[in-house]
Amino acid sequence: MSSEANTEPLLAFADALLASSEREPGRAAGEIRQYVTFFLRDDEIGIPILQCREIVRALAITRVPEAPDHVRGVVNLRGRVLPAVDTRKCLGYDAATPTVRSRLLVVEVAGRAFALLVDRVARILKLAAADITTPPEPAKVRAAIGVARDGESMIYLTDAERILRPEPAAEVQPTRSDEA
Amino acid sequence: MEELFASLVKDFVDETAPIAQEVGGLLLKLEGVWTAGGDAKPVVRAIRGGLHTIKGNSAMMGLAPIARVAHALEDICAEVGTRQGREQALLSQLLFEGCDLLGVLIQAALVGGVDATSADTFVLRARQAMDGATATPATSDSVEARSHVEAAVPPPAAEPSTVEGEDGRGTARIADRDVDDLLELAGETIVGQTQLARVHGRLARGQFEASDLVLMDQLLTELGRTTREMRHKLLRVRLAPIATLFRRFGRFLRDLARERGQAIELCIEGGDTAVDRAIISRLYEPLVHIVRNAVAHGIESADERTSHGKPAKAQILLSARLREGRVQVCIADDGRGLDLRAIAAKANAQGMDTSALSERDIQRLIFQAGLSTAISVSNLAGRGVGLDVVASVVQSLGGTIDVRGASGRGTVFVLDLPVTVSLQKALIFGVDSETFAIPAGFILDTMESREKNMQSINRVLLVSWRGDFVRAVDAGRLLGCQGLAQAWARPYAIILQAGNKRGALLVDWFSGVQEIVVKPLDACLAACRMVAGATVLAQGRVVPILDCVEVVRRTSVALLPESSSEAKVEASYDVF
Repeated sequence: MSSEANTEPLLAFADALLASSEREPGRAAGEIRQYVTFFLRDDEIGIPILQCREIVRALAITRVPEAPDHVRGVVNLRGRVLPAVDTRKCLGYDAATPTVRSRLLVVEVAGRAFALLVDRVARILKLAAADITTPPEPAKVRAAIGVARDGESMIYLTDAERILRPEPAAEVQPTRSDEA
Repeated sequence: MEELFASLVKDFVDETAPIAQEVGGLLLKLEGVWTAGGDAKPVVRAIRGGLHTIKGNSAMMGLAPIARVAHALEDICAEVGTRQGREQALLSQLLFEGCDLLGVLIQAALVGGVDATSADTFVLRARQAMDGATATPATSDSVEARSHVEAAVPPPAAEPSTVEGEDGRGTARIADRDVDDLLELAGETIVGQTQLARVHGRLARGQFEASDLVLMDQLLTELGRTTREMRHKLLRVRLAPIATLFRRFGRFLRDLARERGQAIELCIEGGDTAVDRAIISRLYEPLVHIVRNAVAHGIESADERTSHGKPAKAQILLSARLREGRVQVCIADDGRGLDLRAIAAKANAQGMDTSALSERDIQRLIFQAGLSTAISVSNLAGRGVGLDVVASVVQSLGGTIDVRGASGRGTVFVLDLPVTVSLQKALIFGVDSETFAIPAGFILDTMESREKNMQSINRVLLVSWRGDFVRAVDAGRLLGCQGLAQAWARPYAIILQAGNKRGALLVDWFSGVQEIVVKPLDACLAACRMVAGATVLAQGRVVPILDCVEVVRRTSVALLPESSSEAKVEASYDVF
């Protein structure tokens, strides 16, 4: 599985796709859906491409006093101030300092824009409904609603809304740091 | 489908509510024409025109109760001109009431709760009043009886403030011409961008020519101009003439004056001054309070006025003007002015030493909590909002408030406000390598903080400022910065005032006051009570804007770390 994809073409591709098919007419069951995938530690996670606005290098994040745990702060995206969400925290991983590979995945949910901080962006995946199975219980990745296989590896599928939704069970689940 | 209907209702309210307001204004005018004499016909015609539009619009939306009220009002309009004296007064009172009711019902449509009962009650009363007036010439008794009936019906226009829908979800109306201008500017921007892209292309291919540098320079200047102009034009969309706010006081004062048996004239100046609609809607409550205060405490009885050689009819002036890019709003009355001795006495009674205070300082005491309500003795004022609350509303809008009075001649409140809430003056400061902004309206002073002008008593840190002690807090600690520096080590103190509370923030550095563009934060950061928004500085850096009301509140309860001596040891470790 090629993990070190160049993200620039992906970005252009995502933008073009968004521009051309913002609202697709009714999807058929066997229809192909596209996902943008990213890594948190060694787990590959995908969210629907239609929720993604763009992918940018991790910008300077300004801390906001008393921000909730899962919000690292705010970033300036061409004059817009967006919350930078710690995706690791949201999905039950331990926090990490951004590296050169870290990216901000700008998503839009219900008219609100967020920048999801991820360890790195991987690829665009085309998946048919048949490729997706239900996640094993208990799911390794919190908020996963589906799993796709790529050879040996698993891709956990979720969506931006679920990532951002605070989970009441958050405290009970152990962090994933021990499984690295 | 439901969404579509909701948006239709919204359009209806956006369009019809201003008409109802306009009719209200015309009614006042009509009353003026009646008392002053003159041709009432064109005014009546305009009123009927407005009512007719309201009727048509609401019938189209299936809002029958509103249509019925408008129809009844039209009927009264047709009659009112032919009546005299008491009858006319009665009918015109009904017109005012009906118009208020229309306003309330139209707004109620927004939440889907148009109350048919209150509409039908009104229609019935209107019909009775007209029949009654036609059949039996109204004697003073019957008017009395009727006014009791009126009193029994809950007044529909209890709180005109509900008429505003400016919570950030309001709709702006843009003139077609402005849209055209904006489109043209957008077009110019795109052209500029295309040309820049061409130059960039040459640069990328290594075919850069010397003349390109000049061209690029030109293009950038041009792009700068168009984008600035676009921003300027878009900001204007947010603006509305402040007269929309001032005019609401015509009715308000009329009722207030009538209630108290006083003659008060409202004068409006600079009504066409354009101000952010968000500011306009939030200014209503503070102005109501100030105007009520003026009527309750400032304006004397007619007898008292004439005995002092003043005209019996009092004046209240609402004025607005642009000054140095900001709006100055004045609320002036020609009443008895501020009673400095009474204010000082109240302050003394609360244990405050006023002997050293100047006249101006004593006047400003009325913005302090406790004092303002203590001075409000009448039932008119004291609706739970003190002048201290007025002051903090003005401050939260990025403005300042001041008062001046001359004994026996009147009182003037001066509000200094930004034209738009999205632009504010702010001071930028830094602490522990983080940067923050403070709206300038809250800043009393900045000073160097030396150990000699600081002291701590029972873990409470105090800074001496102008002979006073102000409770201080280390900004780094308050804002959760990761530094290890101690409060004592910060070189500067910023003295803040929010409402009547003062607090000092100890910081590492600060820079001069500058204009910033305020950006709201996403709801996921709503828990950050100390942060009111964010701004982007010239270098692209995002900086949180502090909510000073909260910051000062926290400062007033802040304590030094458990053991200051321990903390000092920690700090010294840090040095090594």
